Amino acid sequence: MGIIASAEELERYREKLAAEAKPDLPTVLVCFGTGCQANGSRPVAEAFAGIIREQGLELDVNIGIKTTGCHGYCENGPLVALKPQGILYLKVKPEDVAEIVEETVKGGRVVERLAYQDKATSETIAQYSEIPFYKHQHRIALRNIGAIDPTDIDDYILAGGYAGLAKALGMEPDDIITEIERSGLRGRGGGGFPAGTKWRSCVAVKSDTRYVMCNGDEGDPGAFMDRSIMEGDPHSVIEGMIIGAFAVGAHQGYIYVRDEYPLAVKNLGSAIEAARSRGLLGDNILGSGFSFDIKISRGGGAFVCGESSALMRSVEGNVGEPRAKYIRSVERGLYDRPTVLNNVETWANVPEIMVKGADWYAALGTEKSKGTKVFSLVGKVNNTGLVEVPMGISIRELVEKIGGGIQGGKKFKAVQTGGPSGGCIPERLSDLPVDFDSLTEAGSMMGSGGIIVMDEETCMVDVARYFINFLVDESCGKCTPCRDGLPRMLDVLTAITEGRGREEDVALLEELCDLLTWGALCGLGTSAANPVLSTIRYFRDEYDAHIKEKRCPAGVCKALITYSIDAEACTGCMLCSKECPQGCITGERKKAHVIDAERCIRCGVCKDVCRYDAVRIS
Amino acid sequence: MEKISVIIDGKTLEAARDRCVLDVARENGIYIPSLCYNPEVKSSGGSCRVCLVEAHQRGRMRMVTACNYPIREGLEIKTDTPLVHRIRRGVLELLISRVPDSEAVRDMAAKEGLTETRFRKDEGENNRYKCIACALCTNVCAEVVGVHAIAMENRGADKQPATPYHKPSDVCIGCGACAYACPTGAITMKEKDGVRRIWQKDFKMVACSVCGTPYIPEAQVDWIVKKTGKDRSFFDKCPDHR
Repeated sequence: MGIIASAEELERYREKLAAEAKPDLPTVLVCFGTGCQANGSRPVAEAFAGIIREQGLELDVNIGIKTTGCHGYCENGPLVALKPQGILYLKVKPEDVAEIVEETVKGGRVVERLAYQDKATSETIAQYSEIPFYKHQHRIALRNIGAIDPTDIDDYILAGGYAGLAKALGMEPDDIITEIERSGLRGRGGGGFPAGTKWRSCVAVKSDTRYVMCNGDEGDPGAFMDRSIMEGDPHSVIEGMIIGAFAVGAHQGYIYVRDEYPLAVKNLGSAIEAARSRGLLGDNILGSGFSFDIKISRGGGAFVCGESSALMRSVEGNVGEPRAKYIRSVERGLYDRPTVLNNVETWANVPEIMVKGADWYAALGTEKSKGTKVFSLVGKVNNTGLVEVPMGISIRELVEKIGGGIQGGKKFKAVQTGGPSGGCIPERLSDLPVDFDSLTEAGSMMGSGGIIVMDEETCMVDVARYFINFLVDESCGKCTPCRDGLPRMLDVLTAITEGRGREEDVALLEELCDLLTWGALCGLGTSAANPVLSTIRYFRDEYDAHIKEKRCPAGVCKALITYSIDAEACTGCMLCSKECPQGCITGERKKAHVIDAERCIRCGVCKDVCRYDAVRIS
Repeated sequence: MEKISVIIDGKTLEAARDRCVLDVARENGIYIPSLCYNPEVKSSGGSCRVCLVEAHQRGRMRMVTACNYPIREGLEIKTDTPLVHRIRRGVLELLISRVPDSEAVRDMAAKEGLTETRFRKDEGENNRYKCIACALCTNVCAEVVGVHAIAMENRGADKQPATPYHKPSDVCIGCGACAYACPTGAITMKEKDGVRRIWQKDFKMVACSVCGTPYIPEAQVDWIVKKTGKDRSFFDKCPDHR
């Protein structure tokens, strides 16, 4: 198939693909997301291919192997899904492959040991859609991920791809913007600015040239929703951008991807090529007379380049520094031209809104935060990974229903949302709905959607110190409050965690937070106070314990804790003394062991390896 | 230019739309401190944050840098409120911590009644040699001189102007505009025996044929001749004897 010359031709092509597709054909889907590849999914896929060749399986069973994007459940990779049974296997190794082919593919039976085991009920759940991690999700931005081969444009078209574009090209640009406005779609990159309003402001500015851009510079520690979309469904982003470009009258687009995402760069690049070769990108798209093309711009790894004005300077080839946004980028953005910049997830939602309509989208979520949001749920929960849920779901539902509760039955303490400049929300507020406004009100923010779950063994002062340390490294250095204020804030926090905190330190921290919030140049600086302010607001007692009592209640801050062994609980198994890097644990077999507190470096290895919970922190 | 009225500290003033608040305030005798901004350099400003003032517009207040905030209809600026002084003091306290030896910073802080910092000072191996990393020098070099001999390197607290790889620059003309523009006197430029040294490079100076004073680097003459086509002999005499 070459150029698709019209919307009708696209539909005919889709029908042809559907007729050729065999939905009942046994299909093995091996996840090729970055996480699963790192866990060894390639040898698993090769093992499947090998067995199919060896056994000449086309005689009795036809197996198509597709390599897909990330299923989101990376912790349990490599993941293998089987169609048409709808079964998901976790942590699959090449040596399991023969059994899967024999039992499941040929025999239709479940290999129990590879299926999901619910930690609470010990129930085995083999059906993909019944696993709690997936059951409560509602996938729009992630609609195709894990189901299609991101390197095959036909797979995307078969799944309904480019229908949104075909529909949009038949509409008036102004009506497209109205549709996006009515859908209530807000930017998923952090600010939550209404996408339709942004597009309309861009159109209102007189200019011969406009640009649309995609922000794929996802830099929050632990966040990987945008990577997953760029890797697993690049066409959804491209299609969204073409629709946006048509709506605002842009003919050139840029996708800014961090270079640390090689697979995203590769899959986006091949998707752009494929879209061009089908006439979906480039001159005269789908015979509509509208022309638009996309370039990929690779970022060099500076966190600040996720900030819109810094990102644009970086694409221009200048130093990635923010500028004052007294004149907005929809007026003067890239190369000083009106520019619409939305993030990956925002763009990925656009085609689906065009197909299903604004009303459908606006029916999801809350009054002011419509639709769904992808979160990367990480930290001390049982099920970590990428989840997409309707806006307004409570933190508790996320942690308990989807996340499967806290690891090891420990107590749930707080969630940190919104990336390094987000804030911490305590367990007692966990019935709070997760949407843009509630999170901001609680002193945190939606950010790009990172959710880090913390248990009782997390020290909140240490958490604040960790994030400020990250921001010190990532501050671009352009403005004084961020450049010189954050390192001073880190000094104070470090002193507190090392037992050198002074009574006046909390007030001093609050003063620096005030300075950053009012005085910093860009959004990163003005929100950099959040980790400190929110932990002071909700966990003041922990600051006080560190400062006044020189005590770390969570047992984390090394200068304030000592390790000892409970002689009652210790069985004298000697494991801790073998593992101790300092060799400072002594004791005879079957007798209680003792830690030499002088030489102990408080690394916690003894506590980690002890099977009898005999190591105490005080 | 279209004139509009704007209120600064209660006074209604006439000013051209899109001019910056700082210029208009100064022309009307209203004090707003600034370090990184130079009215002759378009790309300057927005970095040091000492000129933060309250901007009231459409029922909203935000802190903006006077040096690059455009005058618009219905804008009211307040430069003398508790919030403005609190933030200004905060910024200056951080600047004292960064460059404790800078007289410019100390003098400005003294106007706010601030003489010391409660924070760690950048001293010893972290000595910033008076540089507040405001980038006015690199902006002058790129925008006014047009040679791009220096640029800001590193990020965060280590951000500073430098020549590429800290080697003598191939393109520097030794004009010293960076040093003249620097608000804190952080760039060293020395002259001895008809030779100027700046950014680790020596520049032979042209002496005035009348008074004999070395007054301009040869490299700068070459640059001006190349750029403007002016006759080289024009530079035989210093500005005082032309």
